[in-house]
Amino acid sequence: MATKDKEWISIPMTVDVPYRFAAGGYMTKCLTELRDNGKIFAVECPKCKRVQLPPRVVCAECHVKNEKWVELPHEGTLMNFTIMYLPLTDPTTGKPHEPPFVYGSVRLDGATSVLDHMVEVEPDMDKVWVGMRCRLVLRPKEERIGDLSDIRYIEPLPGQKKPQTKSR
Amino acid sequence: MTERVAIVGVAQTRFAPKRSDVNYGEMAYEAISQVLKDTGLALPEDIDSAISCSHDIWDGQTISDIGITDVIGGHLRAEEKMAMDGSTAVFYGAVGILSGEYSCTLIMAHTKMSQTNRHIVNNVAFDPIYTRMLGFDFTSAAALQARRYMYKYGITREDAARVVVKNLANAKRNPCASQSGDFTVADVLSSPAVAPPLHKLDIAPDADGAVALILASEERARKITDKPVWILGIGTCYDAHYLGDRDLADTFALEKAAGRAYAMAGIKNPRRSVDLAEVGDEFSYQELLWLEGLGLCDRGEAGRFTASGATAIGGKLPVNPSGGLLSGVPANVAGLNRVAEAALQLRGEAGDRQVRGANIAVAQGHTGFCGQHQCVVVLGN
Amino acid sequence: MKRNVAIIGGGQTYHAARRHDVDQAEMVNEAVRAALKDARMTIDEIDLVILGNMEFFEGVHLTDCWLVHGSGAYGKQGVKITTGGTVGATAVCAGAHHVASGLFDKVLCIGFEKQEEGDTGAILSGVANPLWGRSMAGAAVGYFAMMGSSYIANWGATEEHSAMVAVKARQNARKNKYAHLKLDITIEDALNSRMLAWPIRMLDMCPASNGACAMILADEKTAKARSKKPVWIRAMETAHNEQFELDWRDVKTERLIFSKAAAGRLYRKLGVDDPAKYFDVFEIYEPATWAELIWYEDLGLCGPGEGFRLIEQGKTNIDGPIPVNPSGGVLSTNCIGASAMLRVWEAALQIRGDAGEHQVPKDVRRAMTTAYGGTNWTVMTALSKTLED
Repeated sequence: MATKDKEWISIPMTVDVPYRFAAGGYMTKCLTELRDNGKIFAVECPKCKRVQLPPRVVCAECHVKNEKWVELPHEGTLMNFTIMYLPLTDPTTGKPHEPPFVYGSVRLDGATSVLDHMVEVEPDMDKVWVGMRCRLVLRPKEERIGDLSDIRYIEPLPGQKKPQTKSR
Repeated sequence: MTERVAIVGVAQTRFAPKRSDVNYGEMAYEAISQVLKDTGLALPEDIDSAISCSHDIWDGQTISDIGITDVIGGHLRAEEKMAMDGSTAVFYGAVGILSGEYSCTLIMAHTKMSQTNRHIVNNVAFDPIYTRMLGFDFTSAAALQARRYMYKYGITREDAARVVVKNLANAKRNPCASQSGDFTVADVLSSPAVAPPLHKLDIAPDADGAVALILASEERARKITDKPVWILGIGTCYDAHYLGDRDLADTFALEKAAGRAYAMAGIKNPRRSVDLAEVGDEFSYQELLWLEGLGLCDRGEAGRFTASGATAIGGKLPVNPSGGLLSGVPANVAGLNRVAEAALQLRGEAGDRQVRGANIAVAQGHTGFCGQHQCVVVLGN
Repeated sequence: MKRNVAIIGGGQTYHAARRHDVDQAEMVNEAVRAALKDARMTIDEIDLVILGNMEFFEGVHLTDCWLVHGSGAYGKQGVKITTGGTVGATAVCAGAHHVASGLFDKVLCIGFEKQEEGDTGAILSGVANPLWGRSMAGAAVGYFAMMGSSYIANWGATEEHSAMVAVKARQNARKNKYAHLKLDITIEDALNSRMLAWPIRMLDMCPASNGACAMILADEKTAKARSKKPVWIRAMETAHNEQFELDWRDVKTERLIFSKAAAGRLYRKLGVDDPAKYFDVFEIYEPATWAELIWYEDLGLCGPGEGFRLIEQGKTNIDGPIPVNPSGGVLSTNCIGASAMLRVWEAALQIRGDAGEHQVPKDVRRAMTTAYGGTNWTVMTALSKTLED
């Protein structure tokens, strides 16, 4: 066991590894459609018909190549969420997301997958719930750069109220 | 071995300095889909486990087998990642089949060296307390090894340059190679100095690419192919980490790994038995050093052995007919590419680089700087 | 498996947030020496060394190469496995494969993490795809928070239920001399701990620990000759989930997912009808309280949506009918690369009757372990006291 009175040397070090990631064939199409046309494109498996977002080369269940592109609407349902109280750092910018903020998964209508993103609501349990209808809000076209931040956040569709449930 | 394990299929992507058209998962899928097509096997039904080989720090992804889970058939099934040179994945894949747990295993190694910085990645493989702050990378460590080898065994820069000339000429016959060409010893000697005695052409260049390979039990192999390549022997060994703990001209770990693999294969005299070698020539002199460590020539003789033409494609022991790592094979993929190339030779599917009449081949890969961990795979048809 | 494989020894370090008294090699060596001592062996007898840890969590690329003087791998055969949080269990499975293959009789498996030497939170954010989700940086806390919110919304559990899991883990840990968080806490303490990401509070999450575990596996002949209390590895299963579909956190998902797929295969191998009756103790990998409740359901210890009733009724307590994590689990000790191996080693200690104060008060003949990692993966093992069990 370490004793309190003994000195132990430890050496601070920062390792900074730079990367540049190729988006690849599927994500390049997805991100250029988002940037240039404000559209969300997913792939549909020819076998099981799952509509997968983000688009990817292979359907993991069927192990067949995905080749059919499907445009998704910008509206969907909140499948789950959290209110984040930790200032988590965005590694793409090096800046923290200021807490508290709401972070959730939306299933766009027609998609099998969910999309995780910031939810633009007050961090209040009465203002956000599983099942809430939402839509994507994109950056204005001239500011879009071709990555996921071109979707600014998810926002609730107007005119909804949290349903009353037994617990919470 | 009482039971036998066979390589039943091999596929490789083209190796290139930079593949900006694919992410690493898509690149892996190029090799995986090809090997499935060649063998007529399908995922998930025909293959019961997968082993991938890469490093988080190269991939820029924490737990980087996440990025290949879908393409390797990992969904709801077994996949294990080894953060080592790809040769060791063949070792472990063979063990998994011999254990009776699996009958058919897909092995895949991939790296995109272009997406990050080799010197930084190499440097963090040095221990953080003692040697890292000296700024070492694998090239500067290799320069020490080369110098020590030259001093102790009288190897010359010309001896090492002949390896480069041979391998880059061989690579002209290999459609996967990233670099190739007709060079002279003078070209190698006069290429820019990087870490003397190592000059630019003595050093394997950065590359992107993937290799996939399928192993099967004897029973499965017979049904999959009429040209199985049998794994006759396998062996690995770790050397010490700190450079100061080793005589860098020694081949302690390789001798032990090779001894284990030869013993398993029942090979008493490798010089008589081995027809072909694919070795990890990350640096020119390493081909010579590893040939000696593999017992394929006497200590200090590899320079003369190479100069005699013995290691050329038509020589008595062709070494790296593929062009080896000097022709540009990514880190981690390196050793799996050695095994794959040796298997292609034994199957008679090596195209223009085919060696005649080879029955026993040895493939060698290494992990860490100066070949700290060694893996030897002996193959036969 | 072609040959039976037994655990004939093991050991662990004490686990703590700070271990400035040892470097990584010395810390690993502490566990290796403990395992060799437990097996009454010397390192010279070991045929092969398997090292597992999270890559680069402690700022070192190729840790297996650096640590050879601590792991004992110098001059020996060896492999390095890295499968994320599951890696400690994968290392045990790899060890079992090597022994079962007939090529090796005595294999040393090591799992370790020295989390204080790297930035675990930042590195875990790197689990997300660099182009899809990494900028959100939800890390593990965000993921388990969504799981908790889905559990509450769909099954009607409350925060009190996750607090019960938090208390059980830390109270069990107080009985385990090696555990990291030995906290004498109450439900109120858990409910009042700092909110990290609703509904996850500080005491709902695992700590960041330093520590190592080592185990020695052997073939049947060696095990019977050398060990008074060999513990047999009867079955192993590994399953991943696809990269982008994180539906373990969607408690109502109707898809077959990794946890149920692996458990189903493991039960079929052993002919298990009722796992709660078949196994005497469980050591599961619960990085967060909600994950423990979902494991109960996915392992078939209760029906879907009933996990929180098990904890409510105290059934998974150390002296309950289905003891889960008498060691205190991952919620009390999380040196990631060792965490999954600790599950297997703790289960083996229970079967040997050597768990000391946290020994479950009944005859333990069979145990089951799970691991968790990556984008929803698991490695499971089933252990038994004799080959007849």
